[in-house]
Amino acid sequence: MGSGGRFGVGTGNSGAYMTAIAEPIQFEEEIRSLIQARFDAPPVSGGSFTALLGLSANQAVGLLHEPGAGEVSTSAAGLGHPLGCSPIFPSNAALADRAPSFPFFTAADSPASISGGGPSPPLKAEPPDSDSSPSLPVPIEKPRRPAKRKDREKQKAKGPSKKIKTAEEHTEGDQLPYVHVRARRGQATDSHSLSERARREKINARMKLLQELVPGCSKITGTALVLDEIINHVQSLQRQVEFLSMRLAAVNPRIDFGGLDGFLMAECGPLAASNGRGGVSLDPASWSSAPAPGTGLRKDLRPSQQSSTAWVYPYALIDHATSLFGYGAADSVPLNWNQSKTDL
Amino acid sequence: MLAFRFLRALTLVHRTTPNSSNAARSRRIQRAAFASMAYSAGPRRAWSRALLCRFHFHRARRRCAGRSRTAGVPRRPSTTGSPADGLRRLVPGGTEMDYCSLLEETADYIRCLSKQVKLMQSIVDSVGPGGR
Repeated sequence: MGSGGRFGVGTGNSGAYMTAIAEPIQFEEEIRSLIQARFDAPPVSGGSFTALLGLSANQAVGLLHEPGAGEVSTSAAGLGHPLGCSPIFPSNAALADRAPSFPFFTAADSPASISGGGPSPPLKAEPPDSDSSPSLPVPIEKPRRPAKRKDREKQKAKGPSKKIKTAEEHTEGDQLPYVHVRARRGQATDSHSLSERARREKINARMKLLQELVPGCSKITGTALVLDEIINHVQSLQRQVEFLSMRLAAVNPRIDFGGLDGFLMAECGPLAASNGRGGVSLDPASWSSAPAPGTGLRKDLRPSQQSSTAWVYPYALIDHATSLFGYGAADSVPLNWNQSKTDL
Repeated sequence: MLAFRFLRALTLVHRTTPNSSNAARSRRIQRAAFASMAYSAGPRRAWSRALLCRFHFHRARRRCAGRSRTAGVPRRPSTTGSPADGLRRLVPGGTEMDYCSLLEETADYIRCLSKQVKLMQSIVDSVGPGGR
């Protein structure tokens, strides 16, 4: 209340101002009561609070001229006042000079600008209002009302142009976090939609890679069919592995690692050690004796028959991680070697 | 790399099970194939890690508790109907991934599987036409 002439509405500015006023305490109380009264009354126009402030400011000016007039006239009388006050106004030159410093007057400008529809001036007007009048309950509501109006205006503006809308959305999103703006189906600049778009593009790129891997998949359109095709391909590969392992179980390929001593020593030390020169060598005799390695064939592993210079497998094969084995008689060896070289 | 590992495993299998049936040996060879695939792919891939975990787990279990039933993948009926369910079941470790990495892992898995199949096919071919 009468806190040493502290003007409830204007903190910084009014400090210096108040010292000049003759009846600061009474003035303050009257201002407060005026504002409360205006607040109870229904809003006169769209920018109700600012209009309220304007009126109350004018009323306050009028009241200043008549310091004893404590009666606070309600809405009907208040409307008439500005007109009545105007001739009085110039006489209070000192007041008039200081008037612009009142935040009331800056707020009074805002109704005009709000009806204009520009988003930035009301935004700039709001912080001073909220700063200047922390004790009043009304400013708290004020930021919401113009925000709602902006929202309504936005929704009206949705029809005509999308591009402008995205810019507005962007600025709105920055400055007023509680304004909900629905993104159009254009290119939203929202961080969420950006990340989602990036994710979708990643998924599409990987689908393309998969389509290239799976033979016959590039012609198919539609992700469901492509996925089915990929599943079929993986299943067929797994079945092939199973089938081939069955075949390999039947046959015991005897593998010659002879030419790859150094390499294999590092790779499979224990195996090399147990097998002498790094591997099991083929036994040509047993091979030729059993030309058709049929079911249940188990070739004995005759350890370390170092006869395998003919079956040495070249280092070239190692690069491609290809097979290094050879079978059969010496004459068939080069054939096998060439074949396995080209296969893998 | 893949070839070395697989061939080594193959010879090992043949050496250590001279008397068992073909079916059992084929199972072991198949497991050896997947193991060599996983080892050559390295721990960088989620599917290879999942495969290796499965193998180590099985081996440990077998050592500890004798022959026990293989712990299957937790069976969840696909009532949710997500499009990649079938794929998740096929790719090892696929149930735990998000869609994006699932696609990437599938690509790598397909590449490795085709390499393995080619290798095994060439082995079988090299053995000769009298294979079976």
